[in-house]
Amino acid sequence: MQGVSAPREQAPPVISTSSTILNMREKEKYIEDFDFPFCDESSKYEKVAKIGQGTFGEVFKARARNSSKKFVAMKKVLMDNEKEGFPITALREIKILQLLKHENVVNLIEICRTKATLHNKYRSTFYLVFDFCEHDLAGLLSNVNVKFSLGEIKKVMQQLLNGLYYIHSNKILHRDMKAANVLITKNGILKLADFGLARAFSVAKSGQANKYTNRVVTLWYRPPELLLGDRNYGPPVDMWGAGCIMAEMWTRSPIMQGPTEQQQLILISQLCGSCTPDVWPGVESLDLYNKLELPKGQKRKVKERLKHYVKDPYGCDLLDKLLQLDPAKRFDADTALNHDFFWTDPMPCDLGSMLAQHTQSMFEYLAPPRRPGHLRHHHHAPAQPKPPQDSTYQDRVF
Amino acid sequence: MPYWYYDKKDLQNTPSFRDGINNDTENRYRKEGARFIIDTGSKMDLGYNTVATGVVYFHRFYMFHSFRTFPRYITACCCLFLAGKVEETPKKCKDIIKVAKSLLNEEKFNTFGEDPKEEVMTLERILLQTIKFDLQVEHPYSYLLKYAKCLKGDKTKLQKMVQMAWTFVNDSLCTTLCLQWEPEVIAVALMFLAGKLSKFEVVDWNGRAPKHNAWWDMFVEDITMELLEDICHQVLDLYSIQTQPSGGESPPLPPAPKPPKNEKKPPVTPPISASPAAPAKTPVKNGAEFYPYAPPPVAYTAPPPRLPPPPRLPMGLVYDAPPARFVASVPPPPLVPPPFLRARSPASSPPILSAAVIAIHCSDCVKVFSLCELRVTKPGRSQSFY
Repeated sequence: MQGVSAPREQAPPVISTSSTILNMREKEKYIEDFDFPFCDESSKYEKVAKIGQGTFGEVFKARARNSSKKFVAMKKVLMDNEKEGFPITALREIKILQLLKHENVVNLIEICRTKATLHNKYRSTFYLVFDFCEHDLAGLLSNVNVKFSLGEIKKVMQQLLNGLYYIHSNKILHRDMKAANVLITKNGILKLADFGLARAFSVAKSGQANKYTNRVVTLWYRPPELLLGDRNYGPPVDMWGAGCIMAEMWTRSPIMQGPTEQQQLILISQLCGSCTPDVWPGVESLDLYNKLELPKGQKRKVKERLKHYVKDPYGCDLLDKLLQLDPAKRFDADTALNHDFFWTDPMPCDLGSMLAQHTQSMFEYLAPPRRPGHLRHHHHAPAQPKPPQDSTYQDRVF
Repeated sequence: MPYWYYDKKDLQNTPSFRDGINNDTENRYRKEGARFIIDTGSKMDLGYNTVATGVVYFHRFYMFHSFRTFPRYITACCCLFLAGKVEETPKKCKDIIKVAKSLLNEEKFNTFGEDPKEEVMTLERILLQTIKFDLQVEHPYSYLLKYAKCLKGDKTKLQKMVQMAWTFVNDSLCTTLCLQWEPEVIAVALMFLAGKLSKFEVVDWNGRAPKHNAWWDMFVEDITMELLEDICHQVLDLYSIQTQPSGGESPPLPPAPKPPKNEKKPPVTPPISASPAAPAKTPVKNGAEFYPYAPPPVAYTAPPPRLPPPPRLPMGLVYDAPPARFVASVPPPPLVPPPFLRARSPASSPPILSAAVIAIHCSDCVKVFSLCELRVTKPGRSQSFY
């Protein structure tokens, strides 16, 4: 209520009296001293090493100061160039991680802050604190000493699909499926990570399509509908990524490494056949279908080309179902989990004992580039950060 | 997880209270802050969810900090700024500040400091830490619609009832109800109130079981009539609170004795007209989202109905026929932002008013009405009531 202003209010707010608000200095002191009951200081953890570069900041391995055994991953929220305060992408990730609590989804423990002091202009830096996972799938696959048996591959895929089933049931799209975002603990528990591009989705209401950005998903794992400009996509975008990752379990490097979006579409067509209304009804109405020069007359060779790597026929069949061009025909997580691949001998088996042979963490960030014919032994010193992947690789894997 | 619900004792012993601000003054600050978020949000075409989320952040924030440390209007801006991002309806900080400036007098805007945007940025971090990054907030609106879907009866009356309940939910943001009760409970209580006031008797509902005495037993267990009444009165009190010693950061006053609840008072100035947003507020495109309807001017001048006999609200005067889309979309009841949230055509609309006005207009009879009517439904008699 505006009403008549009390004379008191017009008094200049110089010093705090019972009637005025705090002055600047007092407020700074207040902020510095306030012990936020729900937000601990990041100094309770001690950084050990940098282990990655997330969508919006660096990731560190850290140790809890009160227990030398407890390790966490701390993801710094980059705010330096933010005109609009705390980044909306970070808020999204936090919101989604708070919602998702599942064995196969990375667990957000808390959000920590640095103390606000004169030094940082009374602005804290924030860290998302996660349970630490020893490996990521890209790091494991780049190490030739890590060998997955068929049962172990099944276990990886089963956990990955379980995680996807859970997040999709919660109406969340991951939108950045790739081997580097699949973490694996030393006990062999798989965790989907990096929800920096994730968002909630809704089933499009009749006549009102969703308008999501299609500039998501690392190029090599990007499904054809996104490459063709679809903005009304859904869970199948993650299932395509699951297919790419599954194939990678055998090929050991990403199966389609296009340097550009156009090239990526060509690679997809060479493997999955041309995108035509015959195999994919409705593709003709996607934005870029007529604007791009698309390969014509390509035959689908998924099984034919992958069978050299994937000796298991059930595995080949599931890959075929996940790498469907038409998102409507692509298997969803539930159907994939019911596939015979997971229910035939050898059954999925625990990864713990295999991983126990490897005592060192394997992260893509720390690993040498994965290139066919260039697979190197695991190194012991952290490598230099890799240049951005999308521009470096032109060669096809197979 | 922090528990965001407090009992009345906690709500009296707040950081502001410990800082020398009495409860009445604090409640006024809360009301003004919430109203300011509503007005700013509406002016910026922000939806009801964003606005409500901002208000909940605001109330939670002041359970940890004093209004003397953090002046209310800049906190309000910050809450709305963050809520905009969380609810995927982001607004630029500078735009929020621009609107805020247009709604506040100079002296109030001066509390934003020399560089308002920088102030909001600093404050945002404090806000996030204070609310434990607990960003996702649920509001009674969705429950309102969910519950309404189950109720059987005259469709037009049901619509009116839901519309009225919706407005009560809007206004409830100016109370500390969101710090006391889960959104489900608030939704039940305010639907109950709206049902009473709009004479919509719920006689049957989908999913009725023998153990249910009332429709809400289906959704919230063990809700007592005392609780329902208490919640209703907290909202109704908004409309009948006497003009407080106005002014902003006035020194703490000794707590003024509160007038007895059902004492008859002459109609008071509608709070809305005293709100910072009041000057020359005209509907903007869709901007009135927050106000489901605007009562025609006659609502001010019509004398409150005589009491007794049967206390009646001048429903016909106050409530227009629901907009066509609302009718069209029921059945089934709307799932998405109900169309009755649309602004009416600017040309013919009177200045936007909160539904509060409707109740204020006859706040006394509402009070008396609700009191005597509610009594009828005391446990033990509820069977016969239905």
